Amino acid sequence: MTIPVTFWSYFAELAGCSETVVTVSEPTTVDGLLAALYQAHPALAELRRSTLIAVGVEYQDGGYVLKPGDHVSLFPPVQGG
Amino acid sequence: MKRYLSITRDPLDEAGLVADRTLSSGMGAAVYFSGVVRGQEGADAIVALDYSCFVPMAEHQFQRLFDRLAQRGSVESVRLVHRIGRVPVGESSLWIEVVSAHRAEAFAACQWVIDEMKQVVPIWKKPVTAADACLPSDSNPAS
Repeated sequence: MTIPVTFWSYFAELAGCSETVVTVSEPTTVDGLLAALYQAHPALAELRRSTLIAVGVEYQDGGYVLKPGDHVSLFPPVQGG
Repeated sequence: MKRYLSITRDPLDEAGLVADRTLSSGMGAAVYFSGVVRGQEGADAIVALDYSCFVPMAEHQFQRLFDRLAQRGSVESVRLVHRIGRVPVGESSLWIEVVSAHRAEAFAACQWVIDEMKQVVPIWKKPVTAADACLPSDSNPAS
């Protein structure tokens, strides 16, 4: 299963790209995807405690089980206003 | 509860927003807040803020906040406009208005929406100094 991942705000600079695709086996949780992602983008791993995770347009935690068609977004704390 | 939401790259037309206000005869309070970009970010002088936004999620999260606001039962309408892209110092990046029967409810609701927005709505800002003001506005390709 391939999961597209988008990095927002300065996470894109840390990752060196704004989007990537991660191939994971089924079933895989968000935590499983992050483990694979952090190997490819170690700079993001350092910020894991403050990282916000969304699947589609909803916030999810690491235990969320990914489904085909899911789109994951990773970003730092929000700063609107 | 009536609601209006706009996430826009255009300057905010505050006079137009105020002129478009509608409220029923039972409403006695219209509170609005305008958030203006300051010329200082921490210790640094800046000329603008670059706002980036995950627009579909931001719209969804704003609507969820409005749903929760509606459950309070005391607000007749909320209107919110958030500007994204480059916003120069002195210009407004956020405008929100709440209409309710009494001022305490309107002030509290306005404050509540802003506080909650700053927790869940995926919008980010990046300071722009005079040195990098000529660079293109920073935004995610997907925004």
